[in-house]
Amino acid sequence: MIGPSIVIKGEVTGEEDLLIQGRVEGRVNLNGNQVSIGESGEVYADIQAKVIQINGKVTGDINGHEKVIISKSGNVHGNIVAPRVTLEDGAMFKGSIDMDPAVANTGRATLEAHQPGHSAAQPLKASGLDLKSV
Amino acid sequence: MPNLSTQASKLLPHLFQQLDAERSVTVLHIGSALPETVDFFSDYRCKLHFIDVFPALPIVACEEPAVTQAQQFKELLRFPGETAFDICLFWDLFNFLDGDAITAFLSVLRPHLKQGSLAHAFSVHNRKAPQQNHFYGIQNLGELSVRSRRITPTGYAPHSQRELTALLDGFRVERSVLLPDSRLEMLLLKS
Repeated sequence: MIGPSIVIKGEVTGEEDLLIQGRVEGRVNLNGNQVSIGESGEVYADIQAKVIQINGKVTGDINGHEKVIISKSGNVHGNIVAPRVTLEDGAMFKGSIDMDPAVANTGRATLEAHQPGHSAAQPLKASGLDLKSV
Repeated sequence: MPNLSTQASKLLPHLFQQLDAERSVTVLHIGSALPETVDFFSDYRCKLHFIDVFPALPIVACEEPAVTQAQQFKELLRFPGETAFDICLFWDLFNFLDGDAITAFLSVLRPHLKQGSLAHAFSVHNRKAPQQNHFYGIQNLGELSVRSRRITPTGYAPHSQRELTALLDGFRVERSVLLPDSRLEMLLLKS
Protein backbone atom coordinates (compact mmCIF):
# COMPACT_ATOMS: atom_id res chain seq x y z
CA MET A 1 0.00 0.00 0.00
CA ILE A 2 1.06 3.58 -0.63
CA GLY A 3 -0.19 5.36 2.48
CA PRO A 4 -2.08 8.64 2.64
CA SER A 5 0.97 10.73 3.52
CA ILE A 6 3.24 9.19 0.88
CA VAL A 7 4.12 11.10 -2.30
CA ILE A 8 5.84 9.27 -5.15
CA LYS A 9 7.17 11.00 -8.23
CA GLY A 10 8.30 8.44 -10.79
CA GLU A 11 7.41 5.02 -12.12
CA VAL A 12 5.83 2.33 -9.98
CA THR A 13 6.19 -1.25 -11.26
CA GLY A 14 5.90 -4.65 -9.60
CA GLU A 15 4.16 -7.99 -9.42
CA GLU A 16 1.65 -7.59 -6.64
CA ASP A 17 -1.61 -5.79 -6.09
CA LEU A 18 -1.33 -2.19 -5.00
CA LEU A 19 -3.57 0.16 -3.02
CA ILE A 20 -2.78 3.84 -3.45
CA GLN A 21 -4.04 6.05 -0.64
CA GLY A 22 -1.40 8.73 -1.20
CA ARG A 23 -0.21 10.70 -4.19
CA VAL A 24 1.57 9.30 -7.25
CA GLU A 25 2.91 11.37 -10.13
CA GLY A 26 4.46 9.67 -13.15
CA ARG A 27 3.46 6.17 -14.22
CA VAL A 28 2.01 3.04 -12.61
CA ASN A 29 2.67 -0.25 -14.37
CA LEU A 30 1.41 -3.45 -12.73
CA ASN A 31 0.42 -5.41 -15.80
CA GLY A 32 -0.64 -8.65 -14.15
CA ASN A 33 -2.17 -7.22 -11.01
CA GLN A 34 -4.82 -4.99 -9.55
CA VAL A 35 -4.35 -1.33 -8.78
CA SER A 36 -6.84 0.29 -6.42
CA ILE A 37 -6.90 4.00 -5.82
CA GLY A 38 -8.42 4.66 -2.41
CA GLU A 39 -10.69 7.57 -1.59
CA SER A 40 -7.74 9.62 -0.40
CA GLY A 41 -5.60 8.60 -3.37
CA GLU A 42 -4.53 11.11 -5.99
CA VAL A 43 -2.82 9.80 -9.10
CA TYR A 44 -1.41 12.06 -11.79
CA ALA A 45 -0.09 9.25 -13.91
CA ASP A 46 -0.84 6.81 -16.68
CA ILE A 47 -1.87 3.48 -15.18
CA GLN A 48 -1.52 0.01 -16.66
CA ALA A 49 -2.81 -3.01 -14.75
CA LYS A 50 -5.00 -6.07 -15.08
CA VAL A 51 -7.81 -4.58 -13.00
CA ILE A 52 -8.03 -0.94 -11.98
CA GLN A 53 -10.48 0.22 -9.31
CA ILE A 54 -10.76 3.95 -8.73
CA ASN A 55 -12.29 5.36 -5.58
CA GLY A 56 -10.15 8.51 -5.56
CA LYS A 57 -8.83 10.93 -8.14
CA VAL A 58 -6.96 10.06 -11.33
CA THR A 59 -5.65 12.37 -14.00
CA GLY A 60 -4.02 10.32 -16.73
CA ASP A 61 -4.62 7.57 -19.24
CA ILE A 62 -5.76 4.20 -17.95
CA ASN A 63 -5.18 0.83 -19.59
CA GLY A 64 -6.98 -2.04 -17.88
CA HIS A 65 -6.21 -5.39 -19.44
CA GLU A 66 -9.32 -6.93 -17.88
CA LYS A 67 -11.55 -4.17 -16.51
CA VAL A 68 -11.72 -0.69 -15.07
CA ILE A 69 -14.16 0.27 -12.33
CA ILE A 70 -14.82 3.87 -11.37
CA SER A 71 -16.62 3.86 -8.03
CA LYS A 72 -19.14 6.41 -6.83
CA SER A 73 -16.40 8.44 -5.13
CA GLY A 74 -14.08 8.17 -8.14
CA ASN A 75 -13.09 11.13 -10.29
CA VAL A 76 -11.22 10.44 -13.52
CA HIS A 77 -9.91 12.81 -16.16
CA GLY A 78 -8.26 10.86 -18.95
CA ASN A 79 -8.69 8.20 -21.57
CA ILE A 80 -9.56 4.62 -20.69
CA VAL A 81 -8.81 1.52 -22.73
CA ALA A 82 -10.25 -1.73 -21.36
CA PRO A 83 -12.44 -4.62 -22.49
CA ARG A 84 -14.95 -3.69 -19.79
CA VAL A 85 -15.55 -0.40 -18.00
CA THR A 86 -17.98 0.11 -15.14
CA LEU A 87 -19.03 3.54 -13.98
CA GLU A 88 -20.87 3.56 -10.69
CA ASP A 89 -23.62 6.03 -9.89
CA GLY A 90 -22.02 9.27 -8.73
CA ALA A 91 -18.68 8.66 -10.43
CA MET A 92 -17.16 11.62 -12.28
CA PHE A 93 -15.54 10.96 -15.65
CA LYS A 94 -14.16 13.24 -18.33
CA GLY A 95 -12.44 11.79 -21.36
CA SER A 96 -12.86 8.85 -23.68
CA ILE A 97 -13.57 5.16 -23.13
CA ASP A 98 -12.32 2.57 -25.61
CA MET A 99 -14.04 -0.78 -25.01
CA ASP A 100 -13.93 -4.10 -26.80
CA PRO A 101 -15.93 -6.85 -25.09
CA ALA A 102 -14.44 -9.43 -27.46
CA VAL A 103 -11.01 -8.81 -25.94
CA ALA A 104 -12.23 -9.64 -22.42
CA ASN A 105 -11.57 -13.35 -22.72
CA THR A 106 -9.00 -13.39 -25.46
CA GLY A 107 -6.25 -10.97 -24.66
CA ARG A 108 -5.17 -7.58 -23.57
CA ALA A 109 -6.50 -4.20 -24.50
CA THR A 110 -3.94 -1.86 -25.89
CA LEU A 111 -3.59 1.86 -25.52
CA GLU A 112 -3.59 3.22 -29.05
CA ALA A 113 -2.54 6.71 -28.26
CA HIS A 114 -1.99 9.13 -25.41
CA GLN A 115 1.39 7.78 -24.49
CA PRO A 116 3.25 10.83 -23.27
CA GLY A 117 6.99 10.45 -23.15
CA HIS A 118 8.48 9.57 -19.82
CA SER A 119 12.19 9.44 -19.31
CA ALA A 120 13.68 6.11 -18.33
CA ALA A 121 15.60 6.16 -15.08
CA GLN A 122 17.06 3.95 -12.40
CA PRO A 123 14.49 1.84 -10.53
CA LEU A 124 14.28 2.03 -6.74
CA LYS A 125 13.14 -1.17 -5.00
CA ALA A 126 10.52 -0.79 -2.30
CA SER A 127 8.23 -3.44 -0.82
CA GLY A 128 8.07 -5.54 -3.98
CA LEU A 129 7.50 -2.51 -6.19
CA ASP A 130 9.99 -0.80 -8.48
CA LEU A 131 9.92 2.96 -8.21
CA LYS A 132 11.63 4.73 -11.08
CA SER A 133 12.32 8.37 -10.64
CA VAL A 134 11.55 10.71 -13.53
CA MET B 1 -26.78 11.46 -7.89
CA PRO B 2 -29.85 13.08 -9.46
CA ASN B 3 -32.93 10.86 -9.65
CA LEU B 4 -33.30 8.58 -12.62
CA SER B 5 -36.30 8.11 -14.87
CA THR B 6 -36.66 6.80 -18.38
CA GLN B 7 -38.17 8.11 -21.58
CA ALA B 8 -39.14 6.02 -24.58
CA SER B 9 -37.33 6.93 -27.79
CA LYS B 10 -38.56 5.98 -31.24
CA LEU B 11 -35.43 7.29 -32.93
CA LEU B 12 -32.69 5.82 -30.78
CA PRO B 13 -32.85 2.38 -32.47
CA HIS B 14 -32.14 4.02 -35.84
CA LEU B 15 -28.74 5.15 -34.60
CA PHE B 16 -27.64 1.57 -34.13
CA GLN B 17 -29.34 -0.45 -36.84
CA GLN B 18 -26.66 0.19 -39.47
CA LEU B 19 -23.69 -0.55 -37.25
CA ASP B 20 -21.24 -3.19 -38.34
CA ALA B 21 -20.61 -5.50 -35.37
CA GLU B 22 -17.12 -6.24 -36.70
CA ARG B 23 -16.08 -2.62 -36.62
CA SER B 24 -15.51 -0.31 -33.68
CA VAL B 25 -18.04 2.50 -33.41
CA THR B 26 -16.93 5.98 -32.39
CA VAL B 27 -19.42 8.02 -30.39
CA LEU B 28 -19.55 11.64 -29.32
CA HIS B 29 -21.66 12.12 -26.21
CA ILE B 30 -22.30 15.73 -25.24
CA GLY B 31 -22.89 15.75 -21.51
CA SER B 32 -21.94 13.85 -18.40
CA ALA B 33 -20.98 10.19 -18.59
CA LEU B 34 -23.69 8.10 -16.95
CA PRO B 35 -23.36 4.53 -15.69
CA GLU B 36 -26.21 3.22 -17.82
CA THR B 37 -24.73 4.74 -20.99
CA VAL B 38 -21.35 3.12 -20.41
CA ASP B 39 -23.09 -0.15 -19.56
CA PHE B 40 -25.17 0.03 -22.75
CA PHE B 41 -22.10 0.52 -24.92
CA SER B 42 -20.17 -2.24 -23.17
CA ASP B 43 -21.80 -4.68 -25.60
CA TYR B 44 -20.20 -2.86 -28.54
CA ARG B 45 -16.66 -2.43 -29.76
CA CYS B 46 -16.61 1.29 -29.28
CA LYS B 47 -14.80 4.46 -28.40
CA LEU B 48 -16.90 6.90 -26.41
CA HIS B 49 -15.96 10.55 -26.14
CA PHE B 50 -17.75 12.21 -23.24
CA ILE B 51 -17.59 15.98 -23.40
CA ASP B 52 -19.75 18.05 -21.10
CA VAL B 53 -19.94 21.54 -22.55
CA PHE B 54 -22.94 22.59 -20.45
CA PRO B 55 -20.88 23.97 -17.55
CA ALA B 56 -19.13 26.27 -20.05
CA LEU B 57 -22.35 27.83 -21.31
CA PRO B 58 -23.07 30.38 -22.60
CA ILE B 59 -20.51 30.25 -25.39
CA VAL B 60 -20.17 33.83 -26.58
CA ALA B 61 -17.43 35.62 -28.47
CA CYS B 62 -15.02 37.61 -26.25
CA GLU B 63 -13.62 40.91 -27.40
CA GLU B 64 -10.78 41.31 -24.91
CA PRO B 65 -8.87 39.10 -25.33
CA ALA B 66 -10.38 38.28 -28.72
CA VAL B 67 -11.61 34.69 -28.60
CA THR B 68 -14.10 33.44 -31.14
CA GLN B 69 -16.79 30.91 -30.36
CA ALA B 70 -15.07 28.45 -32.68
CA GLN B 71 -11.85 28.81 -30.69
CA GLN B 72 -13.74 28.17 -27.49
CA PHE B 73 -15.34 25.03 -28.91
CA LYS B 74 -12.01 23.84 -30.25
CA GLU B 75 -10.57 24.16 -26.78
CA LEU B 76 -13.55 22.43 -25.17
CA LEU B 77 -13.87 19.58 -27.65
CA ARG B 78 -10.20 18.80 -28.33
CA PHE B 79 -10.91 15.96 -30.75
CA PRO B 80 -7.88 13.85 -31.62
CA GLY B 81 -6.99 14.52 -35.24
CA GLU B 82 -7.93 11.11 -36.62
CA THR B 83 -11.28 10.88 -34.84
CA ALA B 84 -14.35 10.32 -37.04
CA PHE B 85 -17.67 9.92 -35.30
CA ASP B 86 -20.26 7.35 -36.34
CA ILE B 87 -22.80 8.60 -33.81
CA CYS B 88 -23.20 12.00 -32.15
CA LEU B 89 -25.47 12.36 -29.15
CA PHE B 90 -26.16 16.07 -28.85
CA TRP B 91 -29.24 15.72 -26.63
CA ASP B 92 -30.55 19.25 -25.96
CA LEU B 93 -27.33 21.17 -26.67
CA PHE B 94 -28.76 23.21 -29.54
CA ASN B 95 -31.45 24.65 -27.26
CA PHE B 96 -28.68 26.37 -25.31
CA LEU B 97 -26.61 27.75 -28.18
CA ASP B 98 -27.37 30.83 -30.24
CA GLY B 99 -27.11 30.66 -34.00
CA ASP B 100 -23.49 31.78 -34.12
CA ALA B 101 -22.52 29.25 -31.47
CA ILE B 102 -24.20 26.41 -33.36
CA THR B 103 -22.33 27.44 -36.51
CA ALA B 104 -19.08 27.56 -34.56
CA PHE B 105 -19.71 24.19 -32.88
CA LEU B 106 -20.44 22.49 -36.19
CA SER B 107 -17.41 24.06 -37.85
CA VAL B 108 -15.24 22.28 -35.28
CA LEU B 109 -17.20 19.03 -35.49
CA ARG B 110 -17.64 18.74 -39.26
CA PRO B 111 -14.08 17.55 -40.04
CA HIS B 112 -14.72 14.66 -37.62
CA LEU B 113 -17.86 13.39 -39.30
CA LYS B 114 -17.93 10.66 -41.89
CA GLN B 115 -20.31 9.57 -44.61
CA GLY B 116 -23.35 8.15 -42.86
CA SER B 117 -22.69 9.74 -39.47
CA LEU B 118 -25.90 9.88 -37.47
CA ALA B 119 -26.90 12.12 -34.60
CA HIS B 120 -29.61 12.50 -32.02
CA ALA B 121 -30.85 15.85 -30.74
CA PHE B 122 -33.77 17.43 -28.98
CA SER B 123 -35.29 20.65 -30.24
CA VAL B 124 -38.69 22.28 -29.87
CA HIS B 125 -41.86 22.44 -31.90
CA ASN B 126 -42.76 25.74 -30.25
CA ARG B 127 -40.11 28.21 -29.09
CA LYS B 128 -42.14 28.80 -25.93
CA ALA B 129 -41.54 25.22 -24.87
CA PRO B 130 -40.37 25.32 -21.25
CA GLN B 131 -36.79 24.47 -20.37
CA GLN B 132 -36.31 20.87 -19.34
CA ASN B 133 -33.69 20.78 -16.64
CA HIS B 134 -32.55 17.28 -17.50
CA PHE B 135 -29.58 15.45 -18.84
CA TYR B 136 -29.66 12.21 -20.73
CA GLY B 137 -28.14 8.81 -21.21
CA ILE B 138 -29.06 5.52 -22.86
CA GLN B 139 -30.93 2.98 -20.77
CA ASN B 140 -31.47 0.49 -23.58
CA LEU B 141 -32.08 0.50 -27.32
CA GLY B 142 -35.58 1.95 -26.94
CA GLU B 143 -35.26 4.07 -23.82
CA LEU B 144 -33.31 7.08 -22.70
CA SER B 145 -32.37 7.63 -19.10
CA VAL B 146 -33.33 11.05 -17.80
CA ARG B 147 -31.78 12.69 -14.76
CA SER B 148 -32.39 16.07 -13.15
CA ARG B 149 -29.60 18.61 -13.30
CA ARG B 150 -28.33 20.03 -10.05
CA ILE B 151 -27.19 23.19 -11.81
CA THR B 152 -29.35 24.79 -14.48
CA PRO B 153 -27.38 25.63 -17.65
CA THR B 154 -27.63 29.21 -18.80
CA GLY B 155 -28.67 30.46 -22.20
CA TYR B 156 -31.83 28.46 -22.91
CA ALA B 157 -33.17 29.96 -26.13
CA PRO B 158 -34.52 27.25 -28.42
CA HIS B 159 -34.71 27.79 -32.15
CA SER B 160 -37.66 27.24 -34.39
CA GLN B 161 -37.53 24.11 -36.52
CA ARG B 162 -36.85 26.17 -39.63
CA GLU B 163 -34.02 28.13 -37.97
CA LEU B 164 -32.39 25.05 -36.53
CA THR B 165 -32.63 23.10 -39.77
CA ALA B 166 -30.89 25.98 -41.55
CA LEU B 167 -28.20 26.18 -38.86
CA LEU B 168 -27.36 22.47 -38.91
CA ASP B 169 -24.77 22.80 -41.66
CA GLY B 170 -23.42 19.31 -42.28
CA PHE B 171 -26.55 17.49 -41.14
CA ARG B 172 -30.02 17.06 -42.49
CA VAL B 173 -33.04 16.13 -40.41
CA GLU B 174 -33.80 12.53 -41.33
CA ARG B 175 -36.75 12.04 -38.97
CA SER B 176 -38.37 13.90 -36.12
CA VAL B 177 -40.91 12.90 -33.50
CA LEU B 178 -43.15 15.26 -31.55
CA LEU B 179 -42.86 14.83 -27.79
CA PRO B 180 -44.91 16.21 -24.90
CA ASP B 181 -44.34 19.87 -23.90
CA SER B 182 -43.81 20.91 -27.53
CA ARG B 183 -40.46 19.20 -27.74
CA LEU B 184 -39.03 17.37 -30.71
CA GLU B 185 -36.72 14.41 -30.93
CA MET B 186 -34.60 14.49 -34.07
CA LEU B 187 -32.55 11.99 -36.01
CA LEU B 188 -29.85 13.75 -38.05
CA LEU B 189 -27.83 12.35 -40.92
CA LYS B 190 -24.62 13.84 -42.25
CA SER B 191 -25.54 15.57 -45.48
